Amino acid sequence: MKGKKHQFKNTMSRPWRIMNYIFLVIVFMTMFLPLWNVLVMSTSTALDAGASGIKIWWKSFSLEGYEFIFRNMKIATPLKNSIIVSVSGTAAQVLLSALAGYVLIQNDMPFKKSITSFIMLTMMIPGDLTLISIYQLNKQLGFLNSYTGLIINGLVSGFSILLMRNYFLSVPYSLAESARIDGSSELKIFYKIYLPLSGPGLATITFLEFVGKWNSVMIPATITTDPNYFTLPLVLRNLVTDSAAISGAPLAKDNAIMAAIVITTIPLLLVYVFAQRFLTSGMTLGATKE
Amino acid sequence: MMQQLWKRMYRYKMVYLMLLPVLAYFIVFSVYPLVLGIRNSFMSSRMIGDSEFIGIQNYIDVFNNPVYTQAFSNTVIVGAGTFIVQFLFGLFLALGINEIRNKAGKSMIQSITYLPYMLSWSIVGGLWIKILAPTGMLNGLLNLFNSSRTMVAFMAEPKYARMIMILTGAWKSAGYYTLLFLAAIVSIDQSIYEAAAIDGASRVNQMRSITVPNLVPTMKVIVVLGTMGLLRNFDQIFIMRNSVIDDKIRNLLYLIYNDGIQKFNTGMATAAAALVLIATFVISYIVRKVIKYDQNY
Repeated sequence: MKGKKHQFKNTMSRPWRIMNYIFLVIVFMTMFLPLWNVLVMSTSTALDAGASGIKIWWKSFSLEGYEFIFRNMKIATPLKNSIIVSVSGTAAQVLLSALAGYVLIQNDMPFKKSITSFIMLTMMIPGDLTLISIYQLNKQLGFLNSYTGLIINGLVSGFSILLMRNYFLSVPYSLAESARIDGSSELKIFYKIYLPLSGPGLATITFLEFVGKWNSVMIPATITTDPNYFTLPLVLRNLVTDSAAISGAPLAKDNAIMAAIVITTIPLLLVYVFAQRFLTSGMTLGATKE
Repeated sequence: MMQQLWKRMYRYKMVYLMLLPVLAYFIVFSVYPLVLGIRNSFMSSRMIGDSEFIGIQNYIDVFNNPVYTQAFSNTVIVGAGTFIVQFLFGLFLALGINEIRNKAGKSMIQSITYLPYMLSWSIVGGLWIKILAPTGMLNGLLNLFNSSRTMVAFMAEPKYARMIMILTGAWKSAGYYTLLFLAAIVSIDQSIYEAAAIDGASRVNQMRSITVPNLVPTMKVIVVLGTMGLLRNFDQIFIMRNSVIDDKIRNLLYLIYNDGIQKFNTGMATAAAALVLIATFVISYIVRKVIKYDQNY
């Protein structure tokens, strides 16, 4: 209104600002250094990685940890397992969630309300507390130590379905109605109109589900005993606990363990970079109060 | 009437077909295990032959078993401790990050704090086990101040065990809470701040009397989410436990897994799982009442 003369800065006073910067720098260090330490140790020689001290810079650069983890620990198998299980599981889950989410937006479909409540009810049953029955069920179905078992457990979640439903609700219903009058089939309306208009929603659940499946510890620990079907988190767990602080000679040297950690982290970083812009909206959606 | 309903349902036959796989999944993998679990909690555990109905004996056994009572207190102490640290850390971090004007710096610290949240516990647990080892980074750091001290195997000291679980838990998840708080801070009406600044309120006072009160709804959501997950921390303990510190940190879910799947003591383990479920409902009911979650504001 008046010109720029009186435009003042609404910021913290100097001492507060400095304190804030110090606080943030300390936080940054406590978050960053442990991760950086992993990278440095993984690319050091076994001798340097196992030496004491703060390992945040290289004394020697060596890829022997990676070589060891691929050659002696055969990490290629769990890596392959993790990729197969996470990628196919995520693809199937996104498709099923989208289909079910689409069903839940049909305006005058009979039993829509009861189906929605049923799906919400399943979200109240925590999978981790029915673990023993899940084990027995998988045993009965012959899914122990199989890709089918690893993929199918946790394949559908009420959360993803409701997330998809919320995205579909923002697509104008009249679009579907007019296509229906023109004689399009439901499936055609679904993939010609709804799917293309729900890109961010699909990206969000793809990201969330991939991360969840890649990191899953409990289900693989429950339904696999055969090392041929171990996923990366299980192998990593065996590596770190075998050489935990109290036990004797470690199976794998520190640089090899850190190499395994790096290998497990890379795919997560890749999807994170691609999905970052959808993240805030997707993550907060799960925590909004209705 | 009935015919009309059928007609309407027939019109949606394709749509019902699209839902079929999902419904079948939920019945087989969600409802059936729950029913089976409830049934098993009333049966004796037998590896061979038929198990028989023994009433609430399993539940009585759980209550009388000192390992389960200990696991319950471990779960609550570590769970509540982690939640409180993570909540305060996330809140202060969000307030601090919001004051940065530099966009690149802002997104950098936001990304790095969020990063551990999306890493598996086997990654986070593994890297902290290494940092806390005698040759690890923490010992190296402490040596900077006193080079004559002896190395401590932090992961083999029962007195540090719970603190380690709480701090590593908060390290992993605080970034998620920061994200939720920041999203709420951004949506606060900026004109309130302008008005307060014109009236001479300092920025820190604005944070105290505008930002924080406006975050109360988000805090409530976070508290409710936190209590739902309070008793259900499996991964961290599964990865980071060892026999020396077990008594301090072994929690209910790990014990249930160990008893039910490794030792085939299914009756008691499922009874314990059912009790955890009931306790979760009771705790979240109480918390909802205490923080007046279901009231409008």
